[in-house]
Amino acid sequence: MGVLCSRVRMEEKRIFQALQERGVPFQRIDVRNLTFELGSNGLSGSSTCASHALCDVVLIRCLSHTRALYAARMLDERGVRTVNVHRAIASCGDKVLTSMALIEHGVPTPYTAVAFSQATALATMETMGYPVVVKPPVGSWGRLMAKLNDREAAEAVLEHKRALHQDDPYYVQQYVEKPGRDIRTLVVGDETVYAVYRHSSHWITNTARGGETSICPITPQINNISQAAARAVDGEIVAVDLLETREGRLLVNEINHTPEFHGAVKATELDVPGRIVDYVVQAASEQVRKREGR
Amino acid sequence: MQEERTDGEVMVGILGSRVRVEEKLLYDALDERGATFKRFDSRKVAFELDNSSTAGAPTGDGLECLQTCDAVLVRCLSHSRAYYLTRWLEGAGISAVSPHQSIATCGDKALTSAALREAGVPIPNTRIAFTQDAALKAIEEMGYPVVLKPLFGSWGRLLARINDRHAAEAILEHKKTLGDYTHGVFYIQQYVEKPGRDIRSFVVGDETIAAIYRSSPHWITNTARGGGATNCPVTPEIDRLSRAAAEAVGGGVVAVDLLEDSDGSLLVSEVNHTPEFRNSIDTTGVDIPRRIIDYVLEVAMNGKSGR
Repeated sequence: MGVLCSRVRMEEKRIFQALQERGVPFQRIDVRNLTFELGSNGLSGSSTCASHALCDVVLIRCLSHTRALYAARMLDERGVRTVNVHRAIASCGDKVLTSMALIEHGVPTPYTAVAFSQATALATMETMGYPVVVKPPVGSWGRLMAKLNDREAAEAVLEHKRALHQDDPYYVQQYVEKPGRDIRTLVVGDETVYAVYRHSSHWITNTARGGETSICPITPQINNISQAAARAVDGEIVAVDLLETREGRLLVNEINHTPEFHGAVKATELDVPGRIVDYVVQAASEQVRKREGR
Repeated sequence: MQEERTDGEVMVGILGSRVRVEEKLLYDALDERGATFKRFDSRKVAFELDNSSTAGAPTGDGLECLQTCDAVLVRCLSHSRAYYLTRWLEGAGISAVSPHQSIATCGDKALTSAALREAGVPIPNTRIAFTQDAALKAIEEMGYPVVLKPLFGSWGRLLARINDRHAAEAILEHKKTLGDYTHGVFYIQQYVEKPGRDIRSFVVGDETIAAIYRSSPHWITNTARGGGATNCPVTPEIDRLSRAAAEAVGGGVVAVDLLEDSDGSLLVSEVNHTPEFRNSIDTTGVDIPRRIIDYVLEVAMNGKSGR
């Protein structure tokens, strides 16, 4: 088993630990040392890198979405099974594609529009009605998310986005009045491992931005929507962000393909890295069976 | 008329890049006055700053002539070009209109505010902060709405009117991400409830030659953004504040933006060193290009006799 990563966070350390505890042979592969030669099976980089060719499965844990995306695509091309699969990383990493996948699979999600110019984005917001949230299609930790309560804010933020070249395209979402929290669930395979509330007095509830975490009971409704969301994007190990509407409905807000889970582990005291490793090991054995059966 | 001068005549340079309506009108005014002038394109300039050449003459098409000018009217669209070229002219002892100090001050809103304040010219409540946190704190203390402006910039670009904390947070983060250090200096101004218009006055030397109202349903009233222009009578108060503002920044040919506060008092919001004026000539009935050229010729005369 390979673990593809760059910076080793708490999460990756815990995953390595779980692998050691289970006696699983694994290789840490630093994506920063990898070069893929396109059009051949050639690989260059340090000797450890080449060993990924020996891996039955590679767990993708890159911080950078683009690194995860391309590395998974190239491993895929070389017949290496990745978790998540390239398709899932592509869908989760881009909010436009996430929304489309959710809508195509009938998974409830906030009202969303995509516009390609300042003028059409502004017109969309005016039609949708304030407040709206504008998000960069690719990005995480709540960065550059803007809640716009009126036209002046909309004009100013759109102009600044354009100056930032963050204008391709504008992802505009109706703001969902949350009860001071949202829900994050972790799906591993066909199981919803945990659900936590992320509390914050701020409308951005990411724990990376200081949100507090507490246990949320996994109701059938939470389980169903989390599973449906994961399936919609072909996600095997994904975190699903859910919003509770005033009427008590659940909406899928975002899906993360390389979830951070240290906050949730603290709150739930679950062996999350163990669950992840068990799933990947199982995927590896299936891969071995498949290869030997050929 | 672009020609060789005869003895006793002054030589005027016009330094710019793209020729807009304004520049054409200025050339016409020079011709009408029968003045000898030469055009210089800032895109072709490279000036030397090493010690080997005593004058550090600019190189490029006919630019040696720049040194023979008695005055240079600076009409660069780019602030940085105007800024550095006037600095060079200053070093070469050639009078620039507007002078380097005026361009340096007007081009930077923080420096403009400081100069106006020091000269006792009334300005809107303004704060400058250097981090997102300090800026947010300043905004919350000032109270909404506020306007965030880039230190450098014109035509109303990237002005942000901020009515609540959510907008403040979003804009501060976007500004920070813009990266350029000038966006890391947060220039925060109390929003002045204007009566759907502001006033722009034109100061040439020590005279307020004209003023217009710029009206717009939008809070940004720049004519470049669709604001309409009508004549504004130059009252003694407008005249006094405009001249004081022009003097405070370093003089020359400048446009002064004035806001009418709800209590009727006037506040100076900005001073521009290379004003556009095409929409203000018919509106005010004042031949603005001719007045500018008359002033440049006067500066050139003084420059010539001073040498």
